Amino acid sequence: MSLQVIINGIATGSIYALIATGFALIFNILKFSNFSHGATMTAAAFVAYFLVSSKGMGLVPTLAVAGLAGALIALFGEFVGFRRILKNHSAPTYFFVSSITLGTLYEGLVTIKAGSNFFNFPSFFAEPTVGVGSLVISTSDLVMFAISAVALLVLAFIIQKTRIGRALRAVSFDRDTAQLMGIDSTRIIQVAFVVSGILAGFAGVFLGIKYTLYPTLGSLVVKGFIASVIGGLGSLTGAVVGALLLGILETILLAVLGSGYSTIAVFGVMLVFLLIRPQGIAGSNVQEKA
Amino acid sequence: MNALISNVLTQVCITLIAVAGIYVLTGLTGMFSLGQAAFMAIGAYASGILVIRTHIPFFLAALIAVVMATGIGYLIGYPVVRLRRDYISLVTLGFGEAIAALLNRMTTLTGGASGLTGIPRKVTLTMALVSAIIAIALAAFFKTSKYGRQCIALKGDELAAKAMGIHVTRIKMVAFLLSVALTSYSGVLYAFYMSYVDPTGFGWKKSADWVIMVFFGGVNSLTGSTLGAFILSALPQVLRSMQNYRYVIYAILVLIILNFKPSGLLGEWELTPRHIRETVARVRNKFGAKKEG
Repeated sequence: MSLQVIINGIATGSIYALIATGFALIFNILKFSNFSHGATMTAAAFVAYFLVSSKGMGLVPTLAVAGLAGALIALFGEFVGFRRILKNHSAPTYFFVSSITLGTLYEGLVTIKAGSNFFNFPSFFAEPTVGVGSLVISTSDLVMFAISAVALLVLAFIIQKTRIGRALRAVSFDRDTAQLMGIDSTRIIQVAFVVSGILAGFAGVFLGIKYTLYPTLGSLVVKGFIASVIGGLGSLTGAVVGALLLGILETILLAVLGSGYSTIAVFGVMLVFLLIRPQGIAGSNVQEKA
Repeated sequence: MNALISNVLTQVCITLIAVAGIYVLTGLTGMFSLGQAAFMAIGAYASGILVIRTHIPFFLAALIAVVMATGIGYLIGYPVVRLRRDYISLVTLGFGEAIAALLNRMTTLTGGASGLTGIPRKVTLTMALVSAIIAIALAAFFKTSKYGRQCIALKGDELAAKAMGIHVTRIKMVAFLLSVALTSYSGVLYAFYMSYVDPTGFGWKKSADWVIMVFFGGVNSLTGSTLGAFILSALPQVLRSMQNYRYVIYAILVLIILNFKPSGLLGEWELTPRHIRETVARVRNKFGAKKEG
């Protein structure tokens, strides 16, 4: 197993990390998986493609627009799909149903605009690869890794060091008590959705660059699920660690087994994790009582 | 009858069978499976391959396929019924996607991505309709039986149900296996109606669609779930002329129901003589009151 494979794995893993953290952020607060995350990624990436990239602007404006679009879409989703359910104190299972429906809605809207065609982002970089000694790293992988790392570090700083981050952790821990302590939990939930939407926008653009852009791109969100299961549901650090491991594992399996069986093997790994260590690598703060 | 209507009705009936299974699993027991469509795939592929390769009669193949799917269901169910609820959806998701990938890969047996072709067409509308009625009756019978009541109890509070002496894992397993059997049977019908199956239609989206149908009609009511499945599975077919807009309309309808009537179209209402009598009485009272006023 050469260093090259591991580097490629880390590059893939850093995109998965963006998906998995956006996903874990919402899981933390609502205690249920947000299945519309994938479609949010796709929709945001498409908005950025049609508004910016197709007009020949560079990567930075594309990412900015995608982040903004992702944030707005997630905010809309929070209002339409989750706000009332939260107010009614309905069972968390309703989040499951409404998030999948939201996903269907976004995917349908993207299909209306884009058909079922494939789109390619223009190549953003003059030099397609960078050579470091004997290693060849594609420039886009390197840039994506750097941007993902910075985004995640900023997120970690916000969550650990700022007032709003502390409020976010409090609401995740116990919504009702946080509310009693004077935290506007609705506002904090909105903040969580905005952040997760920005991450979704970035991830959508990166996936579009790495593969191509098509309306069902969001199904790659499954990688985010797997990563957060391996890392521990609801743990942000766990999600990042799980995503990097998954990226490396997938690249190795791809080299050894080929594309078909590696998919099966990855799901096998996830099943093993769920059966042996359901709380994931990081352990979890989710209550174990039924 | 118009061929188009008959086609839509047959497909709706096949979906109704699967949704009866989902009702038993999600409506009664509160377990979410995102891999249920994989059992449909197993039923469809197993029966199809058996008939094509060994030329055994259709009914025997159907029986073998359902038994086989239930056996696999037992293997998956063994860990699943012991896990916390949100992990159940993830394990079944992983299982379902792995099965879809496997079907894609085992080219010599399944035809891979290009699908399994040449399955004889045996299923008629009458047969699908009778099967759907039997499946729904089975689910209704299960709901009123001892098992069904225990399912509802453990759905409400697993710990309390355990304390009352309900064997939680066993009851969950019974519900899971009944659901798997119904779903795989709907797969058999699907294969022998379409005479062609390919792996793309059996991902987690399909399973999620069924869950949405149950919630749309009323998660606590079999009548509601059936009605929800009927409306939502017929809708995209009816809106076929609007191609791209049909899933948007579908999603908006479901979101409206979830927001404004979270218990679903029918809530807890069931189509039983008592409920009908009560509803008639209520309508009559309203009407009478208006006359007096």
